[in-house]
Amino acid sequence: MSFVWIHEDAMSLDHPVMEAAGLDAQPVFIWDSQHHDAEAYALKRRVFIFECALDLDIPIYCGAPQIILSDLADRQTIFTAASLDPYINGVIADLRQTHAVVTVDRHPFASIPDDADTRRFFRFWNYAKKTALIPSEETI
Amino acid sequence: MTKTTHLARLRIDPNILSNRADLITQVRAISPNLDAMDTVVSSIQGGMDEAQQRLARLDPSAYGKSRNHLDRAVTGLSPFVRHGAMSTRLIRDRALELAEPKPAEKFIQQLAWREYWQRIYNQFPDYIWHDVEPYKTGFRASDYSDDLPDDILTAQTGVACIDQFLTELLETGYMHNHARLYVAAYVCHWRRVKWQAGARFFLAHLLDGDPASNNLSWQWVASTFSHKPYFFNLENIEKFSGEATDTRFKTNKVLAGTYEDIYARLFPNLEPQS
Repeated sequence: MSFVWIHEDAMSLDHPVMEAAGLDAQPVFIWDSQHHDAEAYALKRRVFIFECALDLDIPIYCGAPQIILSDLADRQTIFTAASLDPYINGVIADLRQTHAVVTVDRHPFASIPDDADTRRFFRFWNYAKKTALIPSEETI
Repeated sequence: MTKTTHLARLRIDPNILSNRADLITQVRAISPNLDAMDTVVSSIQGGMDEAQQRLARLDPSAYGKSRNHLDRAVTGLSPFVRHGAMSTRLIRDRALELAEPKPAEKFIQQLAWREYWQRIYNQFPDYIWHDVEPYKTGFRASDYSDDLPDDILTAQTGVACIDQFLTELLETGYMHNHARLYVAAYVCHWRRVKWQAGARFFLAHLLDGDPASNNLSWQWVASTFSHKPYFFNLENIEKFSGEATDTRFKTNKVLAGTYEDIYARLFPNLEPQS
């Protein structure tokens, strides 16, 4: 059985990572209080994150994600949502030393070329609005 | 040797989501290093029920007309977006069900701001904690304090509206975007504290605290990611806030004055602003 690491940047079972992992994949959330300490998260942030995790109704583990996922997945592939967070990417890099890890992007908000000018927001918006103002079902 | 020694699956009471006191107790139990003095929990609850309720109240046309006003329509969806519980794509689709593209455009443009900050984060990860450019305030980075003073951390600055905004942050984990700009400008320019200190403080408390949106906005205010510093005067707060915000002169004296006066006070090394 493969596992899906549901991390704090993608706390949803509607994320495309679930489809990529397949119906029998097991999503898990890992509560890493040391990471919250490092980020100096106040109680209110931790409660909000915990509520989002509980709401998913999936197993929750406590500890370091790389250790827990390594143990859970044994030699199976681990799936997770792509993220820009260096902490999440550090966990993924650690896991890749022993496991196959597949990261999956979310569905895009708009179709924006990789080389779109990001020096000013409104230049970026001029690219984005060509598809951002169209419902998703019409752009698929 | 067994490979399960590290596994610590949390035992969860099936009713815990309906009993917040128990839930908070459990969060404390699994956060052993959390400061015992930190007892504040937001009224904004995590989970899809709350997110869906907020989405159901979405009024994209009203949002576009009043988004800069501190007492008008905000969606309150940003904490859910930040943690990927609800996507900007889904929210955009809902907005387009409720309004034609033109009246919904301002709202959807705000969703695009998040995409914009994420794009920059992806392209330039160093921008998150390092000055993109020097300050354009007439001061060097070394002229700014590294740490926030206690009166800011505790919302006791003595500047009434700033204390109100900070209190909202500390008590709810939320602050209107316009108020965030006011507070950031107060921290960087009135108090001459490095934007990084303010950004860290916001990330600790904001339920929607996102390194890209938060830190790059702080840099924009500070002028390290823009061509000039952002600042304001009391009259501007008065214009965009409702009656709930204390904008009296006697309780906000340091913010009062014309833009030219305040510019001269905050940035004495720069040429006077005409």
